[in-house]
Amino acid sequence: MLIETLIAVTFVGSLVTFAAPNRWAGELAFGISALPFVGGLVMYSQFDGSGNALMGGELAFEQSAEWITLGAYSLNWHTGLDGISMPLVVLTTVLTTLAIASAWTPIDERQSQFYGLVLFMEAGLLGVFAALDFFVWFVFWEAVLVPLYLLIGIWGGPRRKYAAIKVFVYTNVASLAMFIGFVALVFNLPIETFDLPTVAQALANDRLQAPGWTSVSALKTGAFVAMFAGFAVKVPVVPFHTWLPDAHVEAPTPVSVLLAGVLLKMGTYALLRFNFTMLADVATQYAEVIAVFAVVSVIYGALLALAQQDLKRIVAYSSVSSMGYVILGLVAYTTYGVGGATFQMISHGLISGLMFMAVGVIYNTTHTRMVTDMSGLADRMPVTVGILIGGAFGYMGLPLMSGFAAEFFVFLGAFRSGTLSGAPVFTAVAMFGIVIVAGYLLFAMQRTLFGPFRLDTDYEVGPAPLHDVAPLFALLLLVIALGVAPDLFFDMIRDAVNQMPLVEADLGGGY
Amino acid sequence: MFEYAPAVALLPFVSFLIALSVGSYMPKKGAFAGIAATGGSLLLSVWAFVTVSGGEVYNEPDLFTWVAAEELSLSFGILIDPLSAMMLIIVSLVAFLVHVFSLGYMNDEGETGLPRYYAELGLFTFSMLAFVYASNLLMAFMFFELVGLCSYLLIGFWFRTESAASAAKKAFLVTRFGDYFFLIGVIGVIATFGTAQFAGQESFPVLAEHALVDGETEAMTTFLGLGEQAWVTLLGMLVLGGVIGKSAQYPLHTWLPDAMEGPTTVSALIHAATMVAAGVYLVARMYGFYALSPTVLTFIAFVGGFTALFAATMGVIKDDIKRVLAYSTISQYGYMMLGLGAGGFVAGSFHLMNHAFFKALLFLGSGSVIVLMHHEQDMWEMGGLKDKAPATYYTFLAGSLALAGIIPFSGFWSKDEILFEALHYGLGNQPLLLGAYAMGLVAVFFTGFYTFRMVFLTFHGDPRSDTARDPHPVGWSVKVPLVVLGLLATFIGFVNMVPVADLLNMDIEFLHQWLDGPEETVTSVHHYEELVHDAAGFEAADIGPYLPGALSLGLALAGAGLAHMLYNVPDPEPHTEKLGNIRTLLKRNYYQDEYQVWIAEGLTLPVARAANKFDRTVVDGAVNGISRVSLDSGSRLKQVQTGVVTNYAALLTFGLVALLVVVGLYGGWF
Repeated sequence: MLIETLIAVTFVGSLVTFAAPNRWAGELAFGISALPFVGGLVMYSQFDGSGNALMGGELAFEQSAEWITLGAYSLNWHTGLDGISMPLVVLTTVLTTLAIASAWTPIDERQSQFYGLVLFMEAGLLGVFAALDFFVWFVFWEAVLVPLYLLIGIWGGPRRKYAAIKVFVYTNVASLAMFIGFVALVFNLPIETFDLPTVAQALANDRLQAPGWTSVSALKTGAFVAMFAGFAVKVPVVPFHTWLPDAHVEAPTPVSVLLAGVLLKMGTYALLRFNFTMLADVATQYAEVIAVFAVVSVIYGALLALAQQDLKRIVAYSSVSSMGYVILGLVAYTTYGVGGATFQMISHGLISGLMFMAVGVIYNTTHTRMVTDMSGLADRMPVTVGILIGGAFGYMGLPLMSGFAAEFFVFLGAFRSGTLSGAPVFTAVAMFGIVIVAGYLLFAMQRTLFGPFRLDTDYEVGPAPLHDVAPLFALLLLVIALGVAPDLFFDMIRDAVNQMPLVEADLGGGY
Repeated sequence: MFEYAPAVALLPFVSFLIALSVGSYMPKKGAFAGIAATGGSLLLSVWAFVTVSGGEVYNEPDLFTWVAAEELSLSFGILIDPLSAMMLIIVSLVAFLVHVFSLGYMNDEGETGLPRYYAELGLFTFSMLAFVYASNLLMAFMFFELVGLCSYLLIGFWFRTESAASAAKKAFLVTRFGDYFFLIGVIGVIATFGTAQFAGQESFPVLAEHALVDGETEAMTTFLGLGEQAWVTLLGMLVLGGVIGKSAQYPLHTWLPDAMEGPTTVSALIHAATMVAAGVYLVARMYGFYALSPTVLTFIAFVGGFTALFAATMGVIKDDIKRVLAYSTISQYGYMMLGLGAGGFVAGSFHLMNHAFFKALLFLGSGSVIVLMHHEQDMWEMGGLKDKAPATYYTFLAGSLALAGIIPFSGFWSKDEILFEALHYGLGNQPLLLGAYAMGLVAVFFTGFYTFRMVFLTFHGDPRSDTARDPHPVGWSVKVPLVVLGLLATFIGFVNMVPVADLLNMDIEFLHQWLDGPEETVTSVHHYEELVHDAAGFEAADIGPYLPGALSLGLALAGAGLAHMLYNVPDPEPHTEKLGNIRTLLKRNYYQDEYQVWIAEGLTLPVARAANKFDRTVVDGAVNGISRVSLDSGSRLKQVQTGVVTNYAALLTFGLVALLVVVGLYGGWF
């Protein structure tokens, strides 16, 4: 019942916040979000699951109840966590709480609605990672989109309407593709449920029967493509990424934090659960094609980041690059590859959250994000800049920070992949991303943080308030903790990943 | 005996934390914490050294498990064998002296930001010490990167000046380019052998040896259809990428001269004992792997020989005292690479040690000169400091004699041994090494010249400026480190006098014996010599060490003599215009910076901008176009967008219901 309690508390908290006066809605929402935060930590400490949620593992906090029947199909409430979803739940609660604190300075109108929507979104996100029945999952999946649309559309920058509509339409069309792909699979399985483990195991046992006009493999491939396209928008994978920079640039800081930190992981998480677990045979069959998407996302995304002049755009495009590593890790089908991809979801959530927050703190004082408008900020806001440098090196994959661990796992797993032919070459090309990321972050830091102080906008620049800096510092500590001891999460992740179909636990390649 | 080994590295880490958190409230802004910590590290290193000399080698592969995966776990461990015990002392001693020197160089000069300075020095020392006794290649890589971070932070210490910020970025970016190849190499090694251990019977050099020498090819997995020999060669080359970047070898040497933007104390640390030393040390650390591949060995020797000569010629016309030293560093690390590549494990390690002491000495000496000169670094503004600052002069002179390779100073013995190794294998059956030898030999002349040009311009002749006539005094904290290092630069070479040992037929090659260890293991010199002979197939010619030694000594003296003629006069002339076009070429450093900046700004950046334009117009244009054409969505969505939350919620609910209905109809249950 812990999951249900968590979601319910967050949801009720969101309603309470809606009703609260603007004056102290921020503090209230922070207090409320501390409940799921603590709840998430309690669940983490009591986590006793093993194996993979879809492939018949022992789930933690599992809850199942009959809900409604739709024709021959029963739709059930089914939730539970395994080693893949547990870290994502923790990530969601941690980032939401910190994002709320980071909103205190920039959000200065309609606060109660803002914080209410953020908590509403958190409830939806928790549901996405916990749900194990397709319809329950889908409701949560779509429910996340509503607050996102409003948060960008109301509290966003000058082009917020365009950005919000673009996100909404783009991801909804994607949801449709994904929905059709999945439902086509279920209708051709001899089961009467949308229960995800049941579907996954039926598929694994080759119980799919194609209608007369097509073959099983064509059906699988078609479903795979539809779902891949649907989730690829959310991740985003090049060339489905163009909504992302627009959304980030217009979104207020805390929304960017959650968008990059958690919402993108909905896409990679769904890819992992649906495409790469349920249709592992299709994924391995087209491994090279998928790897090309991954490598292009890494290199192309990094090049786009290099061309930007807006700090927030730089961080936004770098997400495209980082998510490319996730895809590469998934398609490797080794413990380190898929596990590293999952670890990268967590790590990137923390680091990109940190970067967006830090850029936001700078924007709060300078009221500009353009690289060309400022220099020498380290002189005026040393603590913020110090943490920003730490976060940037985390993004560059500095060892003993979580980014290095995640990328190293992915590279190691991908290099040894037994299913991806030419794996070492794909890996080596993708790894060049670590050089480009260093290039654009170092250039941006050199120009904005160092040199003599200069600011082209008319504002006084001084040290940021404690409640702006504290969340940054907390994230930096988490990033270092996970880099020094990745097994805090990687242990349970490996356990869940090892039970996925076709994943090679041992040394891939030749052994 | 080794329970306290982790403290060698952790003590400076503690000083990092102390200086960072409470440094600004402490006397001397955290300096004493750093001095105490590095002093402690030095004592523990000496203790480890004594223990190793008592016959114990410490190889604990799993002190802290990073990833406890059943199929392949990754750990941090500690390896203290003769090589790392020696290096621990070098690093902690130089770091300790740099901390002491900083009292005079930073505190007394009224610097701000000192807690940050001492914190970063502590982190730097910690990273390097952990790198030195890392027991496996992955851990070595991790601390290698942290060393790079600390260099970035310290080179950019005076971040308010644009040149410092630019130099810091360049240092990290250029070395990161090398580390890209290194990381592929690390992953390749783990994927190939299932381990990254340096030493022991299950280490990757030993497994590779089994595969290549004994034919036990099941010990390794190769990829991309390559044979075992070719794959080992490829892995060796990949790891070498990191070495070339960090040790500033051609073509990734360009960051090092710019790194002069950091405080001089930091330069001393970077050049002598940490950042730059890390690259060459790595080659020595995994020498058992490199010795298996004659191709990689020859490549290392060639890169080294070429870099030694190339950098030495650029040092000839520099006017900034620190820049002369910077090019000498590049050149000297070239010698170490030449030695290691030519099968001379002892020679390369010997020069690594000697160089650490005399280069730390020269940099701290130049720091003293800079204090004397009120932060003037142009040698043409100096002159005549000899009599005003005798302590600085005589110690600097000792370091210069060592650098130029004049008998009996330390540099002579190790440089001579390196050239001898290259020559005797070159005359044996590796004629390619003769080319590397020739370049190294010619560089000796240039080294002698630029070194003494620097000495004469700085200390001899008449003072050429008011500050040189009336220099600022320096205190004990500056002089004591100089004297300690001066003694080391003078005498440390006696630990391995190969020609003397040969002449007297006495067993006085102490460093050789030390590196051989108490008993033969896979990291003993004896084992490496066997591998160079058996696996790499190097055959030595039977030549004596005297004539080659006399030749290189003669060249060094000739270079120094030419400098004496041109610059040891009361009022020296630059003489550089006689070089004609070559002068421009040298002034511009062979246009190496220009083409690398072009790759970054003239090639990569325009490509990125083109990609960005393509993305905004074609990719995003397609997305927007599709939405317009298919649904005419723009105008319709405008009506949908009422701004009322309930409307949106209703729409979504409606959408979901509609989907359910579609599902229901498709299934035919209504």
